[in-house]
Amino acid sequence: MINTSTFLCILRRSTVAGAVIAAAVVVGPASANKDPVTPKQLKLYQEAFMEEVRKGDLLFHGDAAMAEQLGVKLSTTGWACAMCHPMASDTHPHAFPKFQQSMAKFATLRDMINWCIEKPNQGEKIDPESEAMKALEAYITWSNTGSVLVPGKY
Amino acid sequence: MSDELDRIRREMHAVLQPPGVRPDDSLQITRRTFIHRSLLFGAASVGQTFAWWPLLNTIDVAHAAEAPFKFAWISDTHLYERSLNTRFVDKVVRAVQEVQAMDPPADFLIFGGDLAQLGKIEELELGVELLKDLKIKKYYIPGEHDWYLDMGKKWGELFGQPNWTFDHKGVRFIGLDTVSRGPDYWTAKKMTPEERMGHMATLDGTVAGAWAGVGRDQLDWMSKTLAEWGTDKPVVIFSHNPLYEYYPPWNFWVRDWREVNDVLKPYTKVTNIHGHVHQVLYNEIGRMRSIGMLATSWPWPYAPEGVPKLTKPMIRVDPGDPFDGVGWGKWSVSANDEVETEYIMWGRKEVFVQSPEDHDKSIPEVLRPRIADNQYPWANP
Repeated sequence: MINTSTFLCILRRSTVAGAVIAAAVVVGPASANKDPVTPKQLKLYQEAFMEEVRKGDLLFHGDAAMAEQLGVKLSTTGWACAMCHPMASDTHPHAFPKFQQSMAKFATLRDMINWCIEKPNQGEKIDPESEAMKALEAYITWSNTGSVLVPGKY
Repeated sequence: MSDELDRIRREMHAVLQPPGVRPDDSLQITRRTFIHRSLLFGAASVGQTFAWWPLLNTIDVAHAAEAPFKFAWISDTHLYERSLNTRFVDKVVRAVQEVQAMDPPADFLIFGGDLAQLGKIEELELGVELLKDLKIKKYYIPGEHDWYLDMGKKWGELFGQPNWTFDHKGVRFIGLDTVSRGPDYWTAKKMTPEERMGHMATLDGTVAGAWAGVGRDQLDWMSKTLAEWGTDKPVVIFSHNPLYEYYPPWNFWVRDWREVNDVLKPYTKVTNIHGHVHQVLYNEIGRMRSIGMLATSWPWPYAPEGVPKLTKPMIRVDPGDPFDGVGWGKWSVSANDEVETEYIMWGRKEVFVQSPEDHDKSIPEVLRPRIADNQYPWANP
């Protein structure tokens, strides 16, 4: 049985939650989840994604200006990711996470990216949450569009 | 396989492989390999680098009554200046030492292109310096990395004419230039020489386009070169790119392979040995057999489509082990005219895939060409 104090508490929470939702509907991007998506929105979302793909493509191919812009040093040897992975081949984003033999641990794609930066490229490991990492992830996964998920596959 | 590639593949098969037409049955690729302990020159220095697939290849050729002999092949060294890194230098040193140590010695060396990474004078001169330790006769053909900074000027000064021919113990050898006739993608876009080279030096770049080709003038030269040569006598053709179509987006082909085949059609013992692909590759086109060689620098993965069915793929590399996939190879032809090809990799008992998981294509992938190199400023001249 609900007593008065509990009832008031629920009421207060409901009020707060309602206010948040109302505010979001009125001012925030969350309104997109309540309204039919518009072509303009789709275009924006796609552009936001492709901008990261573009940045990742440049990083992946050793573009010095983009590396500087994002504050990363992915290689000190002249080596770029694409030299072993043309068109992001053999990166297999669709097979992660998995036990990665070269690292002898269960790894994500981001772990693998950092391993390649540190080992073959002799660069500086990047923050897994950094824009550079997200851009590399965006490019690699975009380039493998259509590949079927096979997580864990050797 | 894309529809377009499938169509071309069918055409290639229809035009070049009528029933009963196959290369002379004198070549075997063996699965026999071994760990080459006796030749671990410079093991310490190589151990400190990420040595991927350093490889040189020796070829023993015997023909009819002529004396058997060997020759060696090194290619795709992709040298940077020493100040940037020495990992590729170490592998050239190792390859050179091993060719020099061949017993009986090789009669000559073929350098199959891509001596330099960015076509710089310093890189090309470094290559010359490293190969100087090899005392046998050396022949060079160019790779695209050697050429597009100064359009072959320095390469020509160092090595002379990019295509050549000579006869040796009953075999006619031909060196082709498959790199210098690329379409002009730089003038309209006002690229600097460095920008031009940068696009050319990116295997999966989309700007340089279909640059690999033999060209009408060189085809005519080859035709003339072979005119007096018996159609049943052996011909070995060296080229940087394969003389057939494997994967055009990476220029794993020459765009005029049809015309090349027209010239070679009458000759029954033609072997094409090529670099550029950095991988074990074997194919037969009409009567020509074609063999892809490894790089000393690093391996390329097999292309997402178009790998010749006759290729027994090489094993998947573990990039964490500097000795994995490292090695060399040789070809030998016995006195009874059989040619044996053997790829040898350091630290590997087996060169070829042993199970589906050993293949770098064991995880199916669908790939897209890159986009960023074709956007502004390159997209809008």
